[in-house]
Amino acid sequence: MFKRRPLQSKSEIWMRNIAMGFLIIYMTIFLIVPVIIVVAGSFHQWNPLNQTYNWIGLDNYIRMFSYPTFWQSMANTVIFCVVVVIFRVLLGLAIAYALNSKLMKHKTLFRTIFYMPTVTPLVAVAYVWKIMYNPQFGLIDNIFGLDINWLYDSRFALIALMVMTIWKDFGYAVILFLSGLLSLPSDCYESASIDGANAWQTFRYITLPLLKPTMLFVVVTSIISYLQAYVPVLVMTTGGPGTSTYLSSYLVYDQAFKQYNFGFASAISLFILVLTAIFTVISFKVTGANEN
Amino acid sequence: MKHKTLKTVLYIVLALLGVVTVFPFVWMVLSSFKTNNEIQSIVQTLLPQEAIVDNYLNLQQTFDFLRYFLNSIFIAVAVTVIVIYTSCLCGYVLGKYQFKGKNVIFGFVMMTMMVPWSVTIIPRYTMFMEAGLQDTYISLILPVMVSGFGIFMMKQNMESIPDELIEAARMDGSNEFQTFHKLVLPLCKNGISAIAIFQFLWVWEDYLWPYLMIDSEKKQLLAVGLTLFNGRYSTDYGGLFAATTISILPVIIVYVIFQKRFVAGVAAGAVKG
Repeated sequence: MFKRRPLQSKSEIWMRNIAMGFLIIYMTIFLIVPVIIVVAGSFHQWNPLNQTYNWIGLDNYIRMFSYPTFWQSMANTVIFCVVVVIFRVLLGLAIAYALNSKLMKHKTLFRTIFYMPTVTPLVAVAYVWKIMYNPQFGLIDNIFGLDINWLYDSRFALIALMVMTIWKDFGYAVILFLSGLLSLPSDCYESASIDGANAWQTFRYITLPLLKPTMLFVVVTSIISYLQAYVPVLVMTTGGPGTSTYLSSYLVYDQAFKQYNFGFASAISLFILVLTAIFTVISFKVTGANEN
Repeated sequence: MKHKTLKTVLYIVLALLGVVTVFPFVWMVLSSFKTNNEIQSIVQTLLPQEAIVDNYLNLQQTFDFLRYFLNSIFIAVAVTVIVIYTSCLCGYVLGKYQFKGKNVIFGFVMMTMMVPWSVTIIPRYTMFMEAGLQDTYISLILPVMVSGFGIFMMKQNMESIPDELIEAARMDGSNEFQTFHKLVLPLCKNGISAIAIFQFLWVWEDYLWPYLMIDSEKKQLLAVGLTLFNGRYSTDYGGLFAATTISILPVIIVYVIFQKRFVAGVAAGAVKG
């Protein structure tokens, strides 16, 4: 298929050395060194405001695991991830499947509309939704005739954040599943219809397995990005009411840049890194990407 | 007959979803022309009773919002151009050359995409403060010059360029730098468009880093400007609607114009990955 060909001319070697040299130096300064600093910092009582940097061993980690807000933020993050990812996948898959069917026209129009929220800046969108959730004159209570103070009621605040996130992000899944569907080989479908498979059987036993790589991509990238979500919390609830909408990345922001507990925040952020790695590995296992 | 009903149902469901998707934007734009009294009145109408542009004028007069807008455009364009170049360069070398350690380097680039901002932001903040770079635009550009996502996308793109084309250019005596700039770069338009829009958006909506680095209000960017405005005039909903409209609408317009190329680029990266 492709030939293995060593670098020949001098200019090729130069090109490689410049590009890879730059990449390695850059990654070292902006990634490897920072990770080392964070790991070291997580074993210290570290406050940049009063210049403290004292070795305290595992105290930050011990404190983290006995800190109720940490567990609350973890529970919120897991709920947030699971609910939003499920809706994103289901909505994305269903809409993409509908758009892909021969019955539909105006595909480009629909695709453009559904993808629109994804390309808009989150901070601005979060402000718009904050007003939409306003109990006096907000769009949502008005349209549905409800009387719910979405962002100031601990029963609804996290739901409100999830609804906004689903609205903003489902279009990304639509685009990915749609391009996944378009790339499927058509001969599978022909033989399936010859064998007399109905629409559901075709979807369940042919389309779905073939979409595994796309599914994997959507799930992994979603989890990675939701473990890092903080803007909706920052703009719409600042973690409240109480601690009911703390997400783990917002907790890092809160501890690092409001309380200036850099060491403690480092420990939490490393925990998020480990979680990200675990989730990624699990997703690969569950969706069976190794088979491909 | 059965197909016809199915078709109608599909259209109605999708149209409803489409309305739900677009409605917040429509509401935002229309509300930005309402007076604050009207926005907060008990009886709500979609269209403004009397359309005014005062929200926009006040925003500019009291807050110099245009300044944040232009600052954001400047930084976003600068970062986007740099990221496109570094992504293409590294993507070309990783996609088209064979050499020892290539897979290790690429694997490492892929791993960097997994590292959350919360891990790097504390040391990065410390490093930039120590280096005395706070309140400079260097601090906003330097840490985002290379994108793992961009390199990944461009590597995919480069691999789809036929070797024969590049080989032919080499035969003609063009050196690698000429080949890369004159032949390879123009062939990657789809990938470049996708990276361009994503990267632009990421800079446009980035909040925390400019908030931490930039002290002087004159240099501040749009996303932080929005929160500053909201913090200072928290009851001026008309002004907030105008401010969010200014932050959102240009992005939507650019997206609608380039959406075809953009969607092609996004899809190409994901399907092969």
